[in-house]
Amino acid sequence: MRLGACTIIAPMSSQALLVPELPAPPSRGLGIYVHIPFCVRKCAYCDFNTYAGLEALHETYVAALCREITQAAPTHGHRKVDSVFIGGGTPTVLSGSQLARILGALRAGFSMVPDCELTVEANPGATDQSRFRELADLGVNRLSLGAQSFQEAELRFLGRIHGVAELGTAVDAARAAGLQRINLDLIFGLPGQERVAWHRSLDAALALAPEHLSLYSLIVEPETPLAAWVASGRVAAPDDDLAADLYEDARERMAAAGYLHYEIANWVRPPVAGEAVDAWTSPPGASRHNLRYWRNEDYLGFGPGAHSCLHQPAAEGAAHQARRWWNLKSVPEYIRRLGAGQEPEDQSERVVGALAMAESMMLGLRLVREGLSWAAFQRLHGVDARECYAPILAELSEWGMLESSSSALRLSAKGVPLGNQIFSRFLP
Amino acid sequence: MTDTSLIRNFCIIAHIDHGKSTLADRLLEATATIDARNMVAQALDSMDLERERGVTIKASAVRMRYPAKDGLIYSLNLIDTPGHVDFTYEVSRALAACEGAILVVDASQGVEAQTLANLYLAVEAGLEIVPVLNKIDLPAARPDEVADEVVAILGGKAEDILRISAKSGLNVEAVLEAVVRHVPPPAGDPAAPLRAVVFDSHYDVYKGVVAHVRVFDGAVNAIRDERLRLMATEVTFEPLEVGTFTPRMTPVDRLNTGAVGYIATGLKDVRQAQVGDTITHVARPATTALPGYHVAKPMVFAGLYPTDSEDYIGLRDALDKLRLNDAALVSEPESSAALGLGFRCGFLGLFHMEIVQERLEREYNLDLLATAPSVIYEVLKRDGEHLFIDNPADLPDPSHIEAIYEPWMHLTVWSPDAYIGPIMELVTKRRGDFEKMEFVAEGRVMMTYHIPLSELIVEFYDQLKSRTRGYASMDYQFDNYRAGDLVRLDILINDEPVDALSLILHRDKAHTVGSALARKLKEVIPRQMFKVPIQAATGGRIVARQTVNAMRKDVLAKCYGGDVTRKRKLLEKQKEGKKRMKRIGAVELPQEAFMAVLKLGEDS
Repeated sequence: MRLGACTIIAPMSSQALLVPELPAPPSRGLGIYVHIPFCVRKCAYCDFNTYAGLEALHETYVAALCREITQAAPTHGHRKVDSVFIGGGTPTVLSGSQLARILGALRAGFSMVPDCELTVEANPGATDQSRFRELADLGVNRLSLGAQSFQEAELRFLGRIHGVAELGTAVDAARAAGLQRINLDLIFGLPGQERVAWHRSLDAALALAPEHLSLYSLIVEPETPLAAWVASGRVAAPDDDLAADLYEDARERMAAAGYLHYEIANWVRPPVAGEAVDAWTSPPGASRHNLRYWRNEDYLGFGPGAHSCLHQPAAEGAAHQARRWWNLKSVPEYIRRLGAGQEPEDQSERVVGALAMAESMMLGLRLVREGLSWAAFQRLHGVDARECYAPILAELSEWGMLESSSSALRLSAKGVPLGNQIFSRFLP
Repeated sequence: MTDTSLIRNFCIIAHIDHGKSTLADRLLEATATIDARNMVAQALDSMDLERERGVTIKASAVRMRYPAKDGLIYSLNLIDTPGHVDFTYEVSRALAACEGAILVVDASQGVEAQTLANLYLAVEAGLEIVPVLNKIDLPAARPDEVADEVVAILGGKAEDILRISAKSGLNVEAVLEAVVRHVPPPAGDPAAPLRAVVFDSHYDVYKGVVAHVRVFDGAVNAIRDERLRLMATEVTFEPLEVGTFTPRMTPVDRLNTGAVGYIATGLKDVRQAQVGDTITHVARPATTALPGYHVAKPMVFAGLYPTDSEDYIGLRDALDKLRLNDAALVSEPESSAALGLGFRCGFLGLFHMEIVQERLEREYNLDLLATAPSVIYEVLKRDGEHLFIDNPADLPDPSHIEAIYEPWMHLTVWSPDAYIGPIMELVTKRRGDFEKMEFVAEGRVMMTYHIPLSELIVEFYDQLKSRTRGYASMDYQFDNYRAGDLVRLDILINDEPVDALSLILHRDKAHTVGSALARKLKEVIPRQMFKVPIQAATGGRIVARQTVNAMRKDVLAKCYGGDVTRKRKLLEKQKEGKKRMKRIGAVELPQEAFMAVLKLGEDS
């Protein structure tokens, strides 16, 4: 780390005079993630904290979750919540009334802004129009569907419970139910995947005109059935060159369809008439909740294994610090602790100094349109990223990996697929 | 003190893995020198025998008390000999301290080159040989055939050869009896001026250099006023303590004629008490030193660099400590444009180099990069100047060179006759000249060659082993310096020459080695964010070229929700991996890149 070049801004010193006036801080909004650790069936590649066959725990789990939300409210309830993301797992395995209780607890404890983004993840194979209507009635205004592929064989390989036909049906049903912001998740880079198969999946997904698309490359996570298949040689390990080809194809095809690429794995529908979209901003249809993560802003997570992060920006005499903490992962233990009136927190870390700065870089650069805002970085950390990372930035720019404007820094088209190589250079 | 007639000084000679250490352990147990319960397996072999006060003390000789069948109690001194071919000189000095040697031959493997090399040394030193067939309880044992092999070399009768199993303890007593009966007691004149040969030494923080000695004439007392002198280095000192190894260092008042033990010298540098030197009294000196002394000279050189430049001081201190106990190891600070600060180290041979490197990494917890080993080249410049070069980077411009000379070795290979062809091919490929071949036993040959040392130090031994399914063994000794058509091969990575990858080789091999090296480098250098050309060149002419393609994708496109910690940890792990790399210009080179020349396999 070359911190030697950093200027720590001390507002009372004469140096402060040299610092241009900073833009006003953003509203200190808050995002909330709610984890539903249940699935109908666990997919072959999935290493998330989610379980199949725990139906018997649904009721007590919901009670525990509501309790965690209620317990947190006195401390954080004054914050304006502008995004809620209910993910998992498959949140829609819960009944409408169970989801209603969760949202009720959130609304009772926190002040949610009127246009709060409220996303729920759903499995296309286990949700019909009446369920979608229930969600819409609960105030859900964004739906994220785990489509993963539009090839039957790939869906079976991945261990999905739905077929291709249900994908279209689900999207139609959701729209009919009034859910107007729909995201589809797709996975690419399956072992031996043909480029043409990927193109077909992309085209089929685009034909459904989703407002948002997330394209994830398949990662072999340890202790998944997929990892065991790869280890035993039953399945070839995903090939990086193939994944690179598929990713490139996706970028081209998405661009051709008018979608805007705003995060490494995320695209937004073409702008509608009259919508001005600046080249250096994330477009209006972007996931407000996920933008929070990448902008290194505050969020709370409820449920087993959920992560929370709160920042304390650099201020007079005090350096920036972030506290991140996460809950224990076991569902029964989570239920037990909350039943006993205990905190479900498992571990926490305080992220300060060079590490916190590196996180801002690694997260901000994932936003391939808006990039890392120089001003936001300075506001949070009290130093100018252009100064303290000068040698690294110079080298990466020389290699054509970065581009910058007076307001922000972002990955170049060439740098996007090499993000990890670039991010890791900022780590202390 | 013990009567000379009741002393037996002997060593055990064997090929590696033929059971020398196990037999030594059994002898120590049988004489209750170390009881079985407290026995650390292979006590004599262990460098870690004692770690008192943080100092490694090696017992290179152990005194055993043995009540023999004749009713007398004998003092048996077992003197250890280093097991590697690089230490031939040290072996010869240890043998010089003995009157006899137990020759251990594995009953399934038979006689091997190392056995024979040490045996010849023992015979040359005039030792009485007690042959023993070990591991006779193994299913693969063929004791009758192997006994014939031994008879073919030593003479005598096959039925007189002891058959034992050191592992199970079978017939171990008989070995002790044979030592008493066959090994002569030490000769020497108790009345003559003191002459004691140094056959090993170690450094002790309190006692200074402790010389391991065998007294040939006279005696040495634990009296400080009786100053002593090392006849070769002409260093004088007070004996701080004299004693025997039991196997702990046990002080005694006096070491008599024929005794084996130690003298604590208080000296600070092992180089002042070289192996082979003779100790005598200052007041009443011997007129002539014991024969056979010379200074062990390093033959093989390599740069050792810490992977993390912050470990430079750690490496320096570790080398200093190793040199305390290893008079043959030399090291000098060196700096490489590619690798930063490190040390040019000299070793007796490639096995010595391996041992030192391993100890530095294991005992001192250092992460090291070693450059390709080099020999000392003698360069005659056009202006008449003579240079000795142990680092290819120091070779002058070819236009200034009149001639380059390189060390040649006399190589002995011992193998079943089925592998004559592959061995010949290997040696010829390595520029070796065949000298002669002898059938030494049924189905076994001994071949001798002359071969450049530079050809031996890179992978030769591994190749020999793989071509003979592990059956061949080898031994080598310095022969002479010969002129050769030698050139320097430079490696350019991303258009920058990497000094640490340069090597000197025969002109005829520049193309093949250059190509093989470039290919190997392409294999081990991970893809970078840009295309990386690799070139091999001699005198500015490119002889081989490869390209490492640019990396195409390395990004996590997976939603971990708010689990930023996990994302960061993955990147930290990636970065940690990079720390083990050396950055040359913009390119990150893994350690394997610097070892590439050692792993060219059949290609070279």
